[in-house]
Amino acid sequence: MRSTGILGLILACTLTSGCASLVSNAASGLADSLTSGILNNDDPETVRAGMPSYMIMMDGFVHDNPDSPAMLGAAANLYASFGAVFVDDPARASRITSRGREYALRGICITYAPACSWRDLTYDEFVATLDGLEAEHADAAYLYSFATLAYLRAHSSDWNSLAELPQAEALVKRYLEITGDAAKASAHMYLGILLTLRPPALGGKPEEARVHFEKAIAMSGGRDLSAKVEFAKGYAKLLYDRELHDRLVVEVLESDPYADGLTLTNVLAQQEALLLQADANDYF
Amino acid sequence: MITSDHKGISMRKLILLTLALLVSSAGNAAVLKIATVTPEGSEWMEAMRAGAREIKERTDGRVEIKYYGGGVMGNDDKVLGKIRIGNLHGGAFTPAALQSIYPDVSLYGLPLVFDSEEEAAYVRDRLDETLRDGMSDNGFQSFGFAATGFAVLMSNEPVRGLEDLRGKRVWVPEGDTISYASMEALSLSPVTLPMTDVLTGLQTGLIDIVAVSPIGALVLQWHTKVSYVTDLPLVYTMGFMAVSNRAFNKLSPADQQVVRDVMDSLYAKFDEKNLVDNKDALQALLNAGVELVQPAEGEKARIREVLARSNRSMAVQGDFSLELYDRMMQYVEEYRSGQEAVAGN
Repeated sequence: MRSTGILGLILACTLTSGCASLVSNAASGLADSLTSGILNNDDPETVRAGMPSYMIMMDGFVHDNPDSPAMLGAAANLYASFGAVFVDDPARASRITSRGREYALRGICITYAPACSWRDLTYDEFVATLDGLEAEHADAAYLYSFATLAYLRAHSSDWNSLAELPQAEALVKRYLEITGDAAKASAHMYLGILLTLRPPALGGKPEEARVHFEKAIAMSGGRDLSAKVEFAKGYAKLLYDRELHDRLVVEVLESDPYADGLTLTNVLAQQEALLLQADANDYF
Repeated sequence: MITSDHKGISMRKLILLTLALLVSSAGNAAVLKIATVTPEGSEWMEAMRAGAREIKERTDGRVEIKYYGGGVMGNDDKVLGKIRIGNLHGGAFTPAALQSIYPDVSLYGLPLVFDSEEEAAYVRDRLDETLRDGMSDNGFQSFGFAATGFAVLMSNEPVRGLEDLRGKRVWVPEGDTISYASMEALSLSPVTLPMTDVLTGLQTGLIDIVAVSPIGALVLQWHTKVSYVTDLPLVYTMGFMAVSNRAFNKLSPADQQVVRDVMDSLYAKFDEKNLVDNKDALQALLNAGVELVQPAEGEKARIREVLARSNRSMAVQGDFSLELYDRMMQYVEEYRSGQEAVAGN
């Protein structure tokens, strides 16, 4: 009902001038509600089926509010999440995550001008622009990091993605620097994943990654099961630490997945934990 | 009758014993433990794991392959030590790893031997089998070689010729005696470092120049610390799997054949795909802002002349087979003459 009401208001307002900021605020509130509705859903298939309608709706909002960082951020979030989690077809995942990243880049470009050229810079040039990022840019930087990781995951067989990983890592590190204790727990998980993509023999830093995985788990009080799954996949499998792997998998499977803002990812994490469990004897 | 009973009992015992042995052999799968530096989650590792599943299925579970990826079993020397004492049975190696056991496996990796992938393919069609046999004679079964592209020079200053290399610190992989000798032949200053220290070495200026394939540069993230890549096919790089004869010969001939079929096919696919990947990887490097530099006129020939002398001198002093080296170079000449003849027509 709340959504319908807001939609009605938006439709009415689009017919008049001077409503831009009201539309923006309302749609942005809708996006927050949507995000909350999605994250608290315990049936991934319902979300998979339902999300595209809202993504198209967000496209419309962005079209009407092209300079709204909040709107661009919400659209980026929806597209990146959907493309990374729910799309199996590589060509579709590529299109959807590309759009997510484009929205995220437009969003941060509005609040932090040096970001506008991020896609055209060498690694050193990119890193040089990160110094100017401050706490006020944190949300947009987080969203761009997230959308980039979703994009890179969907393009993992593209060598250009491999070339870009160091930039993604540098950005997440900078985000954690500027946010300190206020950082989102998932940013620690993302850094953990990035630091375990390569084994130590090829320059990876699993022990540094472990700190971030453990921090992500601790920050959610152990309720974020996806952090435990990524810890098992990224760290325990990389180092062939079966004891840790099995402990994490059992913890995930035995946990209650219902937690505010984490239910959907927890249900997905439990599905993945079952696969890890089934594969463990062959792997270790 | 007693004799007959005895015979009867003996026969029963024999049958039971045979059955027990059969059951026992079916129940105890042979596990081949293979170490590799290939990272878990990579396409290569996924393909290797798929190959292991196929082998297990086709041998009805009699042969299992366990991979230890990401270099978790230590460097080449440690892996070879573990193979010697039977804790491991094989590894996915580069030629440098087996240089001390079978030096001829490094022949393709001598610097500036080949001009192109096509030239290398022509020579390999004629020599791969000999090298595989040589590995077998020296204790290892292999399943074909997978090219990983030419190593090229990457640097922070453009390198167009020998003079640009003078006074620069050039990285040489630990244990790679051939590259070390080649650098010395060019009167350069080689710096030996383990691979894990190269990125820091480039950052701190401990080294100025690396020779690595584009795939290697991206995986190792060295592309973030270099600005130029010289368009000169310096070293033909490749990888292969080697399983100790001691472990391999414990498999039945039929199971050995299954392992060979699956692994040969896997490495043939790697061989083909890696070349495409390496071209794409070079393009990705250029897209990331690394600049391609062409060697100055005559410099390639000049460097090749010095290195050809050094290569042959290593063969003469017995670092690898002189006969095989000469055969390889004869095939190279044969290919080039053929190309000239085609061009002349």
